Amino acid sequence: MAIKINDYTKSREWFSRATKVIPSGVYGHLGPAEGNFMPVTSFPLMGDRAQGTYFWDVDGNRFIDYMCAYGPNVLGYNDPDVDAAAIEQLKKGNCMTSPSYKMVEFAELMVDTVNCADWAFFAKNGNDVTTAAIMTARNATHRKKIVFVNGFYHGVSPWTQKIDYPGVIPEDVANNLYIDWNDFDQLQQVFDDNKGEIAAFISTPYMHGNYLDNSLPADGYWKKVRELCTANGTVLIIDDVRAGFRLDIAGSDHFYGFEADLICFCKALANGYNVSCLCGKDFLKGAVSGLSYTGSYWMSAMPFAAGIACVNKMKQLDIPTMFREKGLKLTNGLKEAAANNGFNLVVSGEPALFYLRIADDDSLFIHQDWIQECVKRGVFFAGHHNHFINAALTDEDINFTLEVADEAFKAIRPKY
Amino acid sequence: MTDSKTLAYINMYAVLGTLENLCELDENARALLKNKKPVSIGLEVKDGPAATLMFKNGYCRMEDGCRSDCTIKIPFSSCEKFNGMIDGTVTPVPTKGLMHIGFLLKSFIPLTDLLSKYMRPDPKDLEDRAFFEMSTTLMFYTIAVAIAQIGNNDAIGKFSADHIVDGDILMSIGDKISATIRCKNHRLITIKKDMGTPRSLMKFCDMDLARALFDGKVNAVACIGEGTIIMGGMISMIDNVNRILDRVALYLA
Repeated sequence: MAIKINDYTKSREWFSRATKVIPSGVYGHLGPAEGNFMPVTSFPLMGDRAQGTYFWDVDGNRFIDYMCAYGPNVLGYNDPDVDAAAIEQLKKGNCMTSPSYKMVEFAELMVDTVNCADWAFFAKNGNDVTTAAIMTARNATHRKKIVFVNGFYHGVSPWTQKIDYPGVIPEDVANNLYIDWNDFDQLQQVFDDNKGEIAAFISTPYMHGNYLDNSLPADGYWKKVRELCTANGTVLIIDDVRAGFRLDIAGSDHFYGFEADLICFCKALANGYNVSCLCGKDFLKGAVSGLSYTGSYWMSAMPFAAGIACVNKMKQLDIPTMFREKGLKLTNGLKEAAANNGFNLVVSGEPALFYLRIADDDSLFIHQDWIQECVKRGVFFAGHHNHFINAALTDEDINFTLEVADEAFKAIRPKY
Repeated sequence: MTDSKTLAYINMYAVLGTLENLCELDENARALLKNKKPVSIGLEVKDGPAATLMFKNGYCRMEDGCRSDCTIKIPFSSCEKFNGMIDGTVTPVPTKGLMHIGFLLKSFIPLTDLLSKYMRPDPKDLEDRAFFEMSTTLMFYTIAVAIAQIGNNDAIGKFSADHIVDGDILMSIGDKISATIRCKNHRLITIKKDMGTPRSLMKFCDMDLARALFDGKVNAVACIGEGTIIMGGMISMIDNVNRILDRVALYLA
């Protein structure tokens, strides 16, 4: 039986209202432009509710959500344990003049959990802590330059953007240096050319950038990078905002067998409650202490309580093993569905954060067409971003996804 | 945050290059060239662009480089001087073809005046639908060519072009007006038609939307959400072309 095709009438109505009072209707990564909704008519624009691995839009369409709110949904939406801890703390006190002792408990838990952590510094979004990491590195080294990996995304502050981005001036990025992923020789050259000037090398643990197949670190890459940074007095920052906890509860640097000096967490940290965390080694504790860097809600207690419950539950469930298994089961099934319909679906990155690309043309038109056919049938994939597994995803959900994927392949087959 | 060399390339290929489209689309433009012998104007800018405008049978074609057999040759000692001619502050002095000065005065200058009328229109003129559509079409071609010139010459534009993979990017207004921006080794060239096999596309739904975008009255991101701009294919190409497009307004303002 054919799967129902979604109608988005109310989504369009709400979006139309939004455009009158909100710049571009929905800005940023959840919006149709950055979210690459192609065509926009195939995608939901406004959500209504969520539970477990699903969200429902304002038209009542249900989606199996492989974007997980772009990462925060790690245990399942409305996880009862996390929500109970959060609500209990909310009743006791949230945003107060004295921070709750929950902050101390959470920091202790982070130090116990994250392999390279001697301390924890909390904020709200990933960008807050990547910026804290850069400022810490500059404060500690008294150097200006930062090395980035091409294809990077480390947030939205001007230093994280590029010279051609709207609102960015050349001076914002004047001290940014760029190398290609996995190219240690290039990194070595940049270090040689900028001897004594590089404050930090910042990178995600593997290349999970957008618009390209994701790429794992080459054998020995991180060991050599670690040695190079140490030898040059450069701070090694791992941006684990996206992959954090999904590969390894102790941090993705631990997963790949090295130790970062600073590591940034956000998304999976508190199952949707707004908190981010910078962890680091003892020798940088003074440097981060000296920063003038804070925010009105950074020490709110409710997200700390949620974070404690979330980290403990992720440990209890052994999230990394579970996500690897679920990710492999799903992606192997998707590849099989593609092959059965004569398409070549390339799956890259780690299974817990799989990236998809149909490789039958070099333009991605086929890929985009397949993605929208899946979304129209209730499986929310993104066109050009890695996906996320969550703990509430069941075998039944995976089987339904594969059914949708197969029907979507069949729907586009006549066109290609 | 602009430079005179990039502006000279835009003025040469995007602005004067649009004379091709003006002559093709506007009867008044063709009338200015009617019953005239073929004339070619070579424009050569020191440390800048060089091109030849060829007028024949009422039509105009631009060729890259200053042809040695051009009828009229106008050299410029700098990009600033050439840009000055375009904005009317520098009077060009031909070094060849003085006997054709009549063409310059009676045909070429009226043609460029007509182009200016469409490119910098009086708001009242835009109330006439035919004028509005002509003006918008010519602006579209000018912008499409300017994108390539900025991507090849402007320091920040080159940064964007460095992130564009090889292939064709189709820009269009509806299904009628198209231009292809071809990228090879991060160098861009604009072909003022649909070349048929784009690797990515950006389509403005109609003339009114295109005009509103060109005039800065609507934002492209908002339009994508509303479905009035459709994009597809290799989105990183579109993303970087859009960053260059942001700079077009700086130069053409």
